[in-house]
Amino acid sequence: MPEINNFTMNFGPQHPSAHGVLRLVLELDGEVIERADPHIGLLHRATEKLAEHKTYLQNLPYMDRLDYVSMMCNEHAYCRAVEKLLGVEIPIRAQYIRTMFDEITRILNHLLWLGAYALDVGAMSVFLYCFREREDLMDVYEAVSGARMHAAYYRPGGVYRDLPERMPQYEPSPYRDARRLAELNANRQGSVLDFIEDFTRRFPGYVDEYETLLTDNRIWKQRTVGIGVVSPERAIALGFTGPMLRASGVAWDLRRSEPYAAYADLDFDIPVGKEGDCYDRYLVRVAEMRQSNRIIAQCVDWLRRNPGPVIVDDYKIAPPPRETMKTSMEALIHHFKLFTEGMAVPPGEVYAAVEAPKGEFGIYMVSDGANKPYRMKIRAPGFPHLAAMDEMARGHMIADVVAILATMDIVFGEIDR
Amino acid sequence: MSVLWTLLGMILTIFLLLGIAGFLVFAERRVLALLQNRWGPNRLGPLGVGQALADALKLLTKADFLPSFADPWLYRLAPLLVAFSALAAFAVIPLSPDISWAGDWQIGLLFILALSSLHVYGVFLGGWASGNKFALYGAIRAVAQLVSYELPMGLSLLAIVLLSGSLSLGGMTSAQSLPYILLQPLGFLIFTIAGIAETERLPFDLPEAESELVAGYHTEYGGMPFGFFFLGEYVSLVLTAMLISLLYLGGWHGPWAPGWLWLLGKSALLIFCFFWLRATLPRPRYDQLLHLGWRWLLPLALVNLMGTALVAAGLRWGWL
Amino acid sequence: MQIRPKQWFQSFFLTELLRGMQLTGRYFFGRKFTVQYPEERTPQSPRFRGLHALRRYENGEERCISCKLCEAVCPALAITIRGEERADGTRRTTVYDIDLSKCIFCGLCEESCPVDSIVESRVLDYHAETRSELLYNKDRLLANGDRLERQLAEDRAADRPYR
Repeated sequence: MPEINNFTMNFGPQHPSAHGVLRLVLELDGEVIERADPHIGLLHRATEKLAEHKTYLQNLPYMDRLDYVSMMCNEHAYCRAVEKLLGVEIPIRAQYIRTMFDEITRILNHLLWLGAYALDVGAMSVFLYCFREREDLMDVYEAVSGARMHAAYYRPGGVYRDLPERMPQYEPSPYRDARRLAELNANRQGSVLDFIEDFTRRFPGYVDEYETLLTDNRIWKQRTVGIGVVSPERAIALGFTGPMLRASGVAWDLRRSEPYAAYADLDFDIPVGKEGDCYDRYLVRVAEMRQSNRIIAQCVDWLRRNPGPVIVDDYKIAPPPRETMKTSMEALIHHFKLFTEGMAVPPGEVYAAVEAPKGEFGIYMVSDGANKPYRMKIRAPGFPHLAAMDEMARGHMIADVVAILATMDIVFGEIDR
Repeated sequence: MSVLWTLLGMILTIFLLLGIAGFLVFAERRVLALLQNRWGPNRLGPLGVGQALADALKLLTKADFLPSFADPWLYRLAPLLVAFSALAAFAVIPLSPDISWAGDWQIGLLFILALSSLHVYGVFLGGWASGNKFALYGAIRAVAQLVSYELPMGLSLLAIVLLSGSLSLGGMTSAQSLPYILLQPLGFLIFTIAGIAETERLPFDLPEAESELVAGYHTEYGGMPFGFFFLGEYVSLVLTAMLISLLYLGGWHGPWAPGWLWLLGKSALLIFCFFWLRATLPRPRYDQLLHLGWRWLLPLALVNLMGTALVAAGLRWGWL
Repeated sequence: MQIRPKQWFQSFFLTELLRGMQLTGRYFFGRKFTVQYPEERTPQSPRFRGLHALRRYENGEERCISCKLCEAVCPALAITIRGEERADGTRRTTVYDIDLSKCIFCGLCEESCPVDSIVESRVLDYHAETRSELLYNKDRLLANGDRLERQLAEDRAADRPYR
């Protein structure tokens, strides 16, 4: 009797849709998956270890690079952890700015997710359309922090700089005549807030476009309905958070259950799914994009009406303004101490989490009173999701593995850290 | 002497077709880009047409290698089979009632169907002879898809044969006093879908699904052998477009302009529609693809055939 | 199973697929979003973090006083500084290297500099053909600063109210 073995195949690490470096070892019976075994660690950069040797300010750019498609949310979790240990209350304007940028980050993340998911399943145009919206949002990132992606904008104590009054304009070029240039610059005549408001007015139309191409499309539904179903009890047991959990029917969102920043004062809905399959997750994330748009519009409105400081006044935590630093001796000393030795954080341990676009992104920080963290543990939302890959993919086919991997919104920066 | 001229003419036709295929590679990129809110290749040459030449030169100058785990003869044979089956079919395509290499051969349609079966061989050998698991997967999928969609294609063509009474392409086109799309809307739909599936274009491009199997059955090919697979795909695309224009859209019938211009125009429009489909639709899963072919297209094609047969018989025998 | 006529119609005539095609077709005739680099650029703000430069005062004196704040704060340890008393008694650097292959362009050096010496310019399209060319030493950084001073001064002035 010949022995029948399962066919083992390596999906990745170099693969157009392995979403980063994932080595997924699939045991197949024909095209049906018997077992899926993810091997991770190919993007491990020792972030947690490095954090123990760098001051709290120097650690901030590392946080951007964890989940590198939702940058400011990671910074937010880190800043919340440090602020909790320090016991400071950040100014209200900084809280609204952080809320607004968290939601902008959520839209950025979901746009990239949608584009990549559609591309994997074959609808390549959605990818290009989503990235066009991302361009506008990345221009906002750049106007406010100087970098289109890794912003390093949030600081423990608030945010680094206030929103600028001018938005960068397009320059004339041989391909743009005066009329076209005026068209392009039409929404950039005011401040950043005006630009963002114009974006919030246009965005629902764009989401309608993506939905036209995908939501009712029978091929899309065939590829996503009934794939990777997770029951609510199983989702909670596996440690799912974020849209993965909400699509299974569990109404749990950190913005509502443990409000932070300005979420308690804002008016928005939390989309919750029913079946827990890939189609529901898609619908939940698209609905979240619309809700984020609502939140951003409310924040813009508030920020317009309420000027104020954007970082704490305490020079032991946040550096003084440059004019003050150049004229006052104490301010200069504080500036020097902050940028060389860093801030001294009282001993203690704290866990701070935010509702990142992928789920609950948490930082567990232990401080022993020094200027560097004693231990920083990062709770990445994608880690339990990827761990559930085996259970979700069993019994499906190879094409479904692509769909499931995409629906989990896996970014290897946060899984491997 | 005339043999020499014919031979020369055929070689010229082949080069022309390969040139058209090369141009289509560029055209596809451009059209896809324009549909996706961007420009596409527009730097080389006027409007970017030089990109086609650049791509061709790139493929020609790449190393022609043989993987150590590949079967040498079959590995080399596969691309040739694919390219041959696409190119040879053009021998029976008439550009106008009197322009055709095979001179309105009486079994032209049968020849084309036979060549599409030969295409299946080329695809499968390419995947198997590469000695690579991914390529084998791609080849298996491709063979199943191609074989499943040949049946609805053939059956919808049978209905046309019934209506026109001949198996030659010239005869079928000439018999269209009314374009057959009006008489056979279901058949048109079935043939178009089956034709797109036969040429393995999105939404039926699972055998070469870039996001799943890297490149399917031509993973292990590079340089000109890959170029042959690539060209074969585009030449068969032109073939499908021309078949649909000839058989369903009236071919060379049309006022004012010469017949061949109408044919080329209709084919170009169809090719644009194929690019448009590629830009818009996602791809079904493998078993859903076969499900569509066997459980929907095949019964519909049979219904179409029976309906056409009944109507034709009724008209001839005076029931209707 | 109840078949409603509208659903049957939509199912056979592939309505939603055609609506999707209509959407992409509209984009075919619309304006394209592409920016034709290098003739066109995307807009850059005064806060843009690009290639580094060392600035000078109006009278030509280099600003850097070798306080080593930037070296201390750099998360990637990309800056190397060695200082010494200059012939005229002032405190200046003898070695000021930024290793661009380590730099993460976070802008913390610019933030920490008390005399606005090390700044990040708007240049994003520099290149190097060997790794040693990526190691910018003091002369090259000062040269950058001299070349780009007008834009740098404008950007610092535009950003002054916010810092």
